[in-house]
Amino acid sequence: MYDRLFGAVWLLLCAGLAVIAWGFQAPFSYDPVGPRAYPLLLLALMAAGSLWLILRPSHLEHLLSRHQSLRALLCVLVLLAYALLFEPLGFVLSTALAAAVLGLLFGGRPLACAISGVLMGVLLYVLFDLLLDVPLPLGVLTFLVE
Amino acid sequence: METLNFLAQGFDVALRPVNLLMALFGAFVGTIVGMLPGLGPINGVALLLPLAFALGLPPETALILLAAVYLGCEYGGRISAILLNVPGDAAAIMTSLDGYPLARQGKAGIALSLSAVCSFIGSTIATIGVVLFAPLLAKWAVAFGPAEYFVLMVFAITCLGGMVGDKPVKTLMAALMGLALATVGVDATTGVYRFTFDSVSLSDGIQFVIVVIGLFSVSEILLMLEKTATGQQAIKASGRLLFNFKEFCSVGWTAVRSALTGFVIGTLPGAGATIASAMTYMTEKRLAGAKGRFGEGDLRGLAAPEAANNASACGSLIPMLTLGVPGSGTTAVMIGALTLYNITPGPLLFEQQPDVVWGLIASLFIGNIILLVMNIPLVGLFSRMLSVPNWVLVPAIIIVSLVGVYAVHSTTFDLVLMIGLGVFGYLLRKTDFPLSALILGFVLGELMEDNLRRALSISNGELGILWSSPISLVLWALAALMLALPGLRWWRNRRRPQAAHA
Repeated sequence: MYDRLFGAVWLLLCAGLAVIAWGFQAPFSYDPVGPRAYPLLLLALMAAGSLWLILRPSHLEHLLSRHQSLRALLCVLVLLAYALLFEPLGFVLSTALAAAVLGLLFGGRPLACAISGVLMGVLLYVLFDLLLDVPLPLGVLTFLVE
Repeated sequence: METLNFLAQGFDVALRPVNLLMALFGAFVGTIVGMLPGLGPINGVALLLPLAFALGLPPETALILLAAVYLGCEYGGRISAILLNVPGDAAAIMTSLDGYPLARQGKAGIALSLSAVCSFIGSTIATIGVVLFAPLLAKWAVAFGPAEYFVLMVFAITCLGGMVGDKPVKTLMAALMGLALATVGVDATTGVYRFTFDSVSLSDGIQFVIVVIGLFSVSEILLMLEKTATGQQAIKASGRLLFNFKEFCSVGWTAVRSALTGFVIGTLPGAGATIASAMTYMTEKRLAGAKGRFGEGDLRGLAAPEAANNASACGSLIPMLTLGVPGSGTTAVMIGALTLYNITPGPLLFEQQPDVVWGLIASLFIGNIILLVMNIPLVGLFSRMLSVPNWVLVPAIIIVSLVGVYAVHSTTFDLVLMIGLGVFGYLLRKTDFPLSALILGFVLGELMEDNLRRALSISNGELGILWSSPISLVLWALAALMLALPGLRWWRNRRRPQAAHA
């Protein structure tokens, strides 16, 4: 069932991408293949694979319960929020928040998660930015440095 | 003789203080990453790669670090397999079959120390194999032209389909997805933008680090979310901590035999440590016959997979170094690491970058000794780390991943792309697509297209060049065989029950 669904979605995607790939043309070129043939070849092979999946799906047993998929969705949302807030809020704050919320999601107690979140935000900033020289954004905390 | 000179030169590189320090650090981190259930060598290498790059380590040092992590993971996987019955990485599944029963019988200390020695034997034999065969293969591979290279890569990909388990179509599709992902960005030959959707961030392609971390680390987190925290207690390693001479003798030959098999399997592109450990376990079980107590705590059942998975990890460096074609998912990541440094792995690597190659090989010997020395006394410390709760571990993994991706370009777009790829990887895993095939395809993608187009421009578009030389003909035949393997296996399995009936 899931194989069929995946195959169908992938087939459509391949078709869509093939339409885009058809437009890849070099105005002039010394190479006989051009930029179009290779992606089209890959898409054709993948489309064949998708058809196989639609025609001969395997049985997948492990379904996600509603509760589980909700948690997975929540986790993705937290990650997205973390990524989007990374620059505006700065590493320390966004990390503290994200670590605390993710901790809660993975079954930690609220107070413990809050503490570990703050610790990670501060300590990892010191580790990466100051000790290992990986530049990280400070965001709203920039004023502290000045 | 020449080889020995190069090896000495390699030791010269590997024994520099920075490189020794990195090998030590990598071995330590690798053991921990390998031990933690869910995190395997690919995650370990992927997490440290951006760090190595951001730190501005020279290529040989970065490679030594990554190789130490890779080896360390193979050592670490066995700790959780023995103490928790949860394999730390896929290759350690076989280790848990006999290791856990041994631990339950109060022989955890013996199992841990004996498996560490077997791992050591496996890696050492395989590293000697690398020293002997890699230069030979490299010399031979110089004769490869673009057409042969293209066919070699086709063979590597079909090898995946033929070797990896029961779902050849999904494996091949995953590899194709990787190849397709690699076409994103500006086409090097003609300057045409492909699949960039007018995004500036995509114009030079999807960064390798983002793909690896997204696909492996982020999707791993989502998978971990499903497993509700099991309060499983690790068995304490008590009693005798070291094996005795008799116990060692009982597994000596098993370890050597398995190491040789593991090495050979490791050198094949596509077939990695998981297959090696499973195959040697089965072989030893058959050899032992009725006298063996496999599955109930036979020491040989512990020795075989451990020697084999370490040997194949080292063996998989051969195709990576000599041909530039990875032998496993992890070496695929290492090739990606080299390309970040603008070093293209391949036969010329031995001539152009002897420091990198021989430094790496020498560091394998050193890393092995470090790991053996580290693993026997420190096993208590490592096993205590198994009790770090997920609510600390998971945020830490996420943060390090994010920092790693951010370090490449410093854009939010990359972070979002990483999460998107993570969700994609999660869906693929739920539907049983092997991600290691995808990453292999992604690494090979650019090389494959490049070689194909170069070959065809030599022949002016004549397809015949792809099967004009004996080497490429043999490779085509092997590729066809690999494609036929799953079908043959299926046919044989269908025949067998009928034969039993008759």
